Amino acid sequence: MSVQEKYQSLLELANANGTTYELAEGDGGTLVVTGTAPSAEAKQALWDEYERLDPDFRAGDLILNISTGDAAGGGMHTHTVESGDSLSKIAKEYGIQWKAIWDHNRDILKDPDKIYPGQELKIPM
Amino acid sequence: MRVKFFTVLMLAIAMMAAACGKSDAALTTAVNDKLKADGVTGVTVAVKDGVATLTGEVADQAAKAKAETSAKAVEGIKSVTNSLTLKPLPVATPAASDQGLTGKANENLKKAGCGTASVTVVNGKATLTGEVPAAKFAECVRTVQEAGITGFDNQLKKGA
Repeated sequence: MSVQEKYQSLLELANANGTTYELAEGDGGTLVVTGTAPSAEAKQALWDEYERLDPDFRAGDLILNISTGDAAGGGMHTHTVESGDSLSKIAKEYGIQWKAIWDHNRDILKDPDKIYPGQELKIPM
Repeated sequence: MRVKFFTVLMLAIAMMAAACGKSDAALTTAVNDKLKADGVTGVTVAVKDGVATLTGEVADQAAKAKAETSAKAVEGIKSVTNSLTLKPLPVATPAASDQGLTGKANENLKKAGCGTASVTVVNGKATLTGEVPAAKFAECVRTVQEAGITGFDNQLKKGA
């Protein structure tokens, strides 16, 4: 049975509940489903179906990357500052320059050396 | 006796007429109409002796199954031979560099309260390790899959 046949009911559910998606083939034939669900409930229904088909998500043959549309777009990721973090340390984690984080967070940061736990920094990806 | 024979004859004629039903040409049109009404495109229909054969290329498995269901629903179609093929999938591209994805996935884990799990991404493929409570398991897997990875090796343990 092909991966698409295995997850046919999940794709049908996506079609039925208004989720738009695109398929791609990842590592070793992994089915990568990237899409947008109309609501958190619709997204949850897809995950419930995924869990029904592969109860412990061990097969590694499906990657379900569904957003609900209201998430911050534009390739931005949010990093919550923790005690001990610095811009250069965070930048290293993401493999980018600290200045890139600085440039994207001028609105909340006054000084690149002063960041505080709990602050939410925009990380360009 | 004569009446009975006549009744049987009429029944036999009625049954034969029902069996012949619509012509294959009419059925082909009916199936095409039904597919169109159900929003199925890219399918070629051929009907012979009431058996519909579907050929062509469709987007995915869900579309393939839908086309078959639609064709079967047409009155007079005895069976459907589904010879539809699936469009080849494009190769998935990771959303960021391995380092970027590793950072993002680990941050996602922390945010989801899955701090006891960790991820390493190599060539877009994420390996998830550690142990989380059973109640958090699905959420931890989900948050990693939403980082933009293209491969997944789940070694996460389910704790109590």
